[in-house]
Amino acid sequence: MISFKNVNKWFGDLHVLKDINLEVSHGEVVVVCGPSGSGKSTLIRCINRLEPIQKGELVVDNMNVHDKKINMTKIRAEIGFIFQSFNLYPHMTALGNVTIAPIRVRKMSKEEAEKIAKKALVRVGLGDRINHYPAQLSGGQQQRVAIARGLGMKPKIMLFDEPTSALDPEMINEVLDVMRDLAKEGMTMMVVTHEMGFAREVASRVVFMDDGQIIEVAPPNDFFTNPQSERGKHFLSSILTH
Amino acid sequence: MLEAFNFRVILEYMPLYLQCFLATLWLSVLSLIGAILVGIIACAMRLSQSRALSRAGAVYIESIRSTPLLVQLYFFYFGLPSLGVMLPEWITGVIALTLNSGAYYAEIIRAGIQAIAYGQIEAGIASGLNYFQRMRYIILPQALGMTIRPMLGQAIVLVKDSSLLSLISIMELTRAGQLLTSDRFMPTEGFLTTAAFYLLLYYLLKTFSGWSEKRLIFREAH
Amino acid sequence: MWSFYFHELMRSLPFFLKGLWMTVAVAGLGLIAATIIGFILGIVRAGRNKILRSIIGVWVDLIRGTPFLVQVFIVFFILPSAGIELEAFPAAVIALSNMGASFICEIVASGILSVPKGQREAATASGLSNYQQLRYIILPQAMRSIIPPLVGQYVLIIKDSSVVSAIGVVDVTRVGWLTVQRIPEGLMVFGLVGILYFAICYPLINLSNYMERRMTVTATRL
Repeated sequence: MISFKNVNKWFGDLHVLKDINLEVSHGEVVVVCGPSGSGKSTLIRCINRLEPIQKGELVVDNMNVHDKKINMTKIRAEIGFIFQSFNLYPHMTALGNVTIAPIRVRKMSKEEAEKIAKKALVRVGLGDRINHYPAQLSGGQQQRVAIARGLGMKPKIMLFDEPTSALDPEMINEVLDVMRDLAKEGMTMMVVTHEMGFAREVASRVVFMDDGQIIEVAPPNDFFTNPQSERGKHFLSSILTH
Repeated sequence: MLEAFNFRVILEYMPLYLQCFLATLWLSVLSLIGAILVGIIACAMRLSQSRALSRAGAVYIESIRSTPLLVQLYFFYFGLPSLGVMLPEWITGVIALTLNSGAYYAEIIRAGIQAIAYGQIEAGIASGLNYFQRMRYIILPQALGMTIRPMLGQAIVLVKDSSLLSLISIMELTRAGQLLTSDRFMPTEGFLTTAAFYLLLYYLLKTFSGWSEKRLIFREAH
Repeated sequence: MWSFYFHELMRSLPFFLKGLWMTVAVAGLGLIAATIIGFILGIVRAGRNKILRSIIGVWVDLIRGTPFLVQVFIVFFILPSAGIELEAFPAAVIALSNMGASFICEIVASGILSVPKGQREAATASGLSNYQQLRYIILPQAMRSIIPPLVGQYVLIIKDSSVVSAIGVVDVTRVGWLTVQRIPEGLMVFGLVGILYFAICYPLINLSNYMERRMTVTATRL
């Protein structure tokens, strides 16, 4: 489904992604973790070309994402992206947020889009808040609307960039629950997160990154109980002590 | 149009232009100083405890801001003589410019003072500083840093406003352009040269604004 | 004497109202054109094309660096030698629209740029095109920071329209100027002109301030 082949990226002189090779298959849930500045956010932002790459090849669903001539709209319609800071549109209701892309990008009718949107909002547990504005919702609720917004497009892939990092602790679980359900239903997901409990439960693989490189790739239980790399050991000891 | 641009004529009129340039400069500087003084007084009135003074200040400021400068200029130019006050044109012009920009300066200063977080003043009171000390060490330095940019902005506006003085027969930059038009039928040379001089003043003031902001700004500590 | 002049002035009231209508016409047309042009250029100015952004930037600087009176003279006197013969009214509207557009362009551009970057990213991520992003996501949010200064700019356009009286447009300022030739009571005549401008501008300024307060409060709640 997603294929990185020798992907390299620079921010000016800074080499932020170094020779990334990774395959994510259909239905897999891959968790990406690592210290700050390791490039994990940049990695998934390249998948829907929110960030461009300078070398290598990134293929999503048989389409070369960084080909200048490709129609990005088609690719982006198949990828749902969840941001750390939610980025909900403040001037639209929850329903409006979820329906805008299906109506404008997939060219659905308003009725059709609203039907799908309502289902998505119910699925994330917000069926009674469809006409609320983001300002009237808590952080956890806003992030769940953001997930519904991604789902409204019926994507093949969902990408999560530290979805719970900006939430107060008591709201983290409501969002992780929704993500767990999605994983169980077979959605192809790539999640950048520090939530190790979540990773252990639903991830098929954990990708550990440091300093722009993929250091280790292993099933979660293997990685968390017996990391092979020095840096992996160091990282785990620093986050598991609290 | 540009092939026939007559540089010789501009050279010929250059002494006049330089004279007018100095006139514009002189009129602007005089009005600027006056406007800042008027602004400080009007602001003090506006912020005073006395209801009468505060009202008077507000009436002055709102009247100026809701009417065009040209109307204010004509008001003094045609109005003062009917009161028996005969003044040379340039003084009338300076009065109008001073009173006009004075109102805007009053607002700029007021905004600067009110923007200073009250906590600063409380800290000053708590450490025993009196009113004048608080003004001198806490309020005014910060207000100065914050208002430099809008004050220079208003100075630029004032220089441009001085062009209206040409309409009451004062010899300044815009009038020079009018002369070239009426004497030699060369509005292009006349007004483009005038524009060039104004642009010179504009860029000088803008550069000064950038330079002073870097050197004088007192940033709020967070 | 005074009451005689007052009586004469009141008899000229229809003349003043005609002039007021002319002011509304010139300012109104200028305002509408400036808004349309200003919005289009503002959107470009906030976009990604560096060359276009610089060109617009130079144009804005030229207009900000020269007095409006000089711009009016340039349009009225210089364009004819480039082959465009203009009467006073169209020249006035063109000069006013040109100036207004440059200021509105900057207001619109900074409004657009003040929308948080994350909004654009979310819209891009869901596949919305640049046009769709601007229309449904960016502009609606930008309007919040555009409208108060926009109304303020409208007031400036109305006041600056008084300057076109210098090329003979018979607006309310010119009516005052013509009237004072036969009713030599400058204070009364231009007092009346001032009141007429005040009646239009003062409510608009208050509207702009009111909207600014409302917009800021809602934004902080978000």
